[in-house]
Amino acid sequence: MLERALEEITAAADLRALQQVRVAWLGRKGRVTERLKGLGALAPDERRAAGAEINALKQAIGDALEARERALEAAAVQAQLERERLDVTLPGLRTAAGAHHLLSQVMHKLIDVFRSLGYEVVVGPELEDDHHNFEALNFPPEHPARDTQDTFWTTDGRLLRTHTSPMQVRYMRTHRPPFKVVVPGKVFRNEAVDTTHEAQFHQLEALVVAEHVTMADMRGAIEAMAVALFGPGTRTRLHPTFFPFVEPGAEFAVWWTHPKTGREEWLELGGCGMVHPNVFRAVGYEGVSGFAFGFGLERMAMVTYGVSDIRDLYRGDVRVLRQFRGVA
Amino acid sequence: MRVPLDALAELVPGLPALDEVVATLDALGLPVDAVHELPGAPAGVRVAELLEVWPHPEADELLIARLSAGVGHQTEVVCGAPNARAGLRSAWVPPGTWLGALETTLGARDVRGVHSDGMLASPRELGLFDHAGGLLALGDDALPGTALADLWPPCTVLELEITPNRADATAFLGVARDLAAKLRLPLRHSADPGDPAALDLGDPSVPDGLRLEVDDPVGCPRFTLRRIEGVRIGPSPVWLQRRLAAIGLRPRSNVVDVTNLITFELGQPAHAYDLRALEGGVLQVRRARPGERLVTLNEETLTLDAGDLVIATPDGRGGSRALALAGVIGGAGDSVRPDTTDVALEVALFQSLTVRRSARRHKQVTDAHYRFERGVDPNLAPLASARATTLLAHLAGGRPHPGISASGADVRSEPIAFRPAQVAWLTTLEVPLDEQRGMLERLGCQVRAPGAEAWAVTPPSWRVDLALEEDLIEEVARLHGYEHIGSTVPSMAFVPPAGDPTHRALRDALVEGGFLETISYAFTGAAELEAARAAQVRVRLSEPQGLERAVLRTALYPGLLAAARLNHAERDLALFEVGRVFLDDEVERVALLLRGQRLAAPWLPGVPVDFYVVKGVLEQLAERFGVSLELRPEAPAHLHPHAAASVVWDGVDVGHVGRLHPEVAAAFELGETYLAELTLPLASRAPALSSVPRQPFAERDLAVVAPLEVAYAEVRARLQAAAGPWLISLEPFDVYQGEQVGAGKRSLALRFRFRHPERSLADAEVEARMKEVMEAARAAGYTLRT
Repeated sequence: MLERALEEITAAADLRALQQVRVAWLGRKGRVTERLKGLGALAPDERRAAGAEINALKQAIGDALEARERALEAAAVQAQLERERLDVTLPGLRTAAGAHHLLSQVMHKLIDVFRSLGYEVVVGPELEDDHHNFEALNFPPEHPARDTQDTFWTTDGRLLRTHTSPMQVRYMRTHRPPFKVVVPGKVFRNEAVDTTHEAQFHQLEALVVAEHVTMADMRGAIEAMAVALFGPGTRTRLHPTFFPFVEPGAEFAVWWTHPKTGREEWLELGGCGMVHPNVFRAVGYEGVSGFAFGFGLERMAMVTYGVSDIRDLYRGDVRVLRQFRGVA
Repeated sequence: MRVPLDALAELVPGLPALDEVVATLDALGLPVDAVHELPGAPAGVRVAELLEVWPHPEADELLIARLSAGVGHQTEVVCGAPNARAGLRSAWVPPGTWLGALETTLGARDVRGVHSDGMLASPRELGLFDHAGGLLALGDDALPGTALADLWPPCTVLELEITPNRADATAFLGVARDLAAKLRLPLRHSADPGDPAALDLGDPSVPDGLRLEVDDPVGCPRFTLRRIEGVRIGPSPVWLQRRLAAIGLRPRSNVVDVTNLITFELGQPAHAYDLRALEGGVLQVRRARPGERLVTLNEETLTLDAGDLVIATPDGRGGSRALALAGVIGGAGDSVRPDTTDVALEVALFQSLTVRRSARRHKQVTDAHYRFERGVDPNLAPLASARATTLLAHLAGGRPHPGISASGADVRSEPIAFRPAQVAWLTTLEVPLDEQRGMLERLGCQVRAPGAEAWAVTPPSWRVDLALEEDLIEEVARLHGYEHIGSTVPSMAFVPPAGDPTHRALRDALVEGGFLETISYAFTGAAELEAARAAQVRVRLSEPQGLERAVLRTALYPGLLAAARLNHAERDLALFEVGRVFLDDEVERVALLLRGQRLAAPWLPGVPVDFYVVKGVLEQLAERFGVSLELRPEAPAHLHPHAAASVVWDGVDVGHVGRLHPEVAAAFELGETYLAELTLPLASRAPALSSVPRQPFAERDLAVVAPLEVAYAEVRARLQAAAGPWLISLEPFDVYQGEQVGAGKRSLALRFRFRHPERSLADAEVEARMKEVMEAARAAGYTLRT
């Protein structure tokens, strides 16, 4: 009997067939159940022996059904998984990755540095007037120093700022020392455009004014920035130069390893100096000293990341913009 | 400015080697941009004198010259130069000579049937300076037969960057003064040997037959005119030609070369007039008459006005004729000519502003104007005149008149109150008092009352840039060396306020959302803005770099449209820009552009960008910023009239979003494109955290049918009000338009969720609220769909 039951169980191809086998053997009217019902007709001795035999049979069939059920379930899961097989090598569904513009990245990297050094970040207008851009910064009218900053004038007598320094005047007129500020922004020069010169570019400049700050403080600030950008031990160099709004004035360079050539060399970054007394006079400050330094972001971006044509930064070609993903 | 190293060595005896000179100049603030090594004359080339010149028998334009290239060495060459004439000393290039400038070796050859034994060469062929209009012309100092390379050796030239304040450094002398002061070396001043007897200054009390009439002593504070007779115009000696060639000038003739040398050597422009040009020996300095004309020595005709200062002479008819534009450029007719014998040497000072304005107005950039505009030493003219006079006597055989006609006098600078202790206060450089004094004196300053806390320091006349104590502090720091400045960090009682002036949170959110950031130009073309239907131009540039950069942008999106046009090959674009636009005020904005598919794979259907995709971007931004966002139907001219809205951010109207108007899209050769442009800064609110509610919510759905033109926002507002205080959300989950609801209508299926803050809501309570909702819907004329 068991043999036949096991044959039927093995032959059940799915869970439903197996259920029918279960009913046929162990159901209320199943063969084993029927035999159990027949026990009552036997003598007590026979009944015990036959009972034990039938129970063993029932147990064996039950176990076989159980095992078969587990196997069929596992096979069903396997089949389901098989049906759900994917080709993982096909491309995914996605929104393409965005990117900050390279100049934004450089700007924000610098802003991080200056914030960590305790500077406030301020911005100012791009359309300026002669007073803020030149006169209050000690560029007298008709002074040859103005020729170094070819200016876009507007037909209504205003100008596009040639540097971020007008914000020095605006900030100092609305704040009292001590303070440390940094000003990022777009500036404009009416110069011939080529691979390294644009009519529009970006500067970042710092201004620190207090009762007594010194040129050594200025150098310390420049050095702190250089170390944050280029790593510990970065050296700086100051050479005298002239900007109307500082005295003494200097240009600063950092000693770095050029990422392309691998050569160590001085990288001339920008200008700096102690705020000129005429500038303090123009904003009504007395009895303080201060320093300012500034530089162009394009140059820093170009030498650091190997941009060969400055105009690529402004064309809006997505083949260029995509390269800025994850640059920082 | 180009400075020959040997010129500096003459002025500063003991000058160190090139590398140290370059490093010293860099440290002085006279940075060396480049060092040029100029080649000397080619080996093998010899000085030759043309003995006889006759026409070539076969060619009108050619000549045959017999020349002497040293004692007992005569030969013949064919040449075509206009200045070939008997008596000329020039450069003979024997056959077989390598000419580096031409990259060729000269061979012996026949020229139109006449044998030419080598050739006579122009300065350009010799690689000496850029002139090919004639043969190299040498003076009596060059003896025939001499190897030219011995006379004209290679030369080192420094190219310096001169900042606009350093008027004095536009001359060899000024550069030499700085070097001598920094290196503590003596200075040999070519025009001021220190002994007045050694200088031919001329005596103003001796009548010289010249008359100087200076009408405008402000425009011309100083003028000297020296009469020199009997000059012989001819080539300059080799040393002078070499020096001029080294600084990039073409040697012309001894008299002109001397005036050019003075300009570069001393920083004092000078000009020699042929005395015949001065009518009656009268030289006038006056303002030009409006409309007066002047033909310059470059043959340009300038139309002058009363702002111009001119050098003039009586015209012989009772009037006055302009000879030169003062301090800028000479006229065509007054200069020395080959037959000039008597000259009047002008060495004068002109006011910076006058010269600057004239030069700009007439677009004349000259060596003289460059120096006057920055400020020439006001006391230099008599010394420079003496130096030039001596040179003209030696080099051109001139006889200087003992008299001189002059106007103006020496000026003395105002002393500056200088506190030497301020050097350390401002720069931290500790420079002993006697060293500071020595430095200032080496620079030419006079220092009085040393020992007192404040000194009276009178700067020299040539340092027009020194006016304040800080200027002198820089001089001391410069000579001491900026390299000694230390590095400190000030401790300051300043706490920077927080803020995001560069809109970093916004940029980060957009970049995370897959947008590429662009930066376009603040200036653009008026036509481009018009094609984009942007706001009317307010600000125009007066001298733009072309029409397409002539006006300031009034919106950001035209720049994004231009970028989309440039990237037409890209199906999917998501761009943004943060920048400033120029309307009645300058406004900072952000603009977005989306087109193509937002979520895409090449082999799967993606999510095509439509209005709701762009709106979703804004909604997500608003969520991130913790503010409300509402769109109200409204279309500016550049957007689709029925697919655009104004953006109300945190209750404030900040801009527009929508589909680009198809006509504008066509103008930019674009397909379906979506834009948003919002004014910055976008408000944000700090999140207010609250505990998560534990009560379950009850959910009910309701579909209402309303006319198409009734906005969802309107339906929502009505039903929301009716739903009462326990409503926590109301969202559309299906929008249907079609036969089942009838034409001109649509069905909005809405899901309501209710929750009581403290307890569970009974079904009956929720049903009661929904009854109110349905009544409100019916009252508004909507039908309920079941």
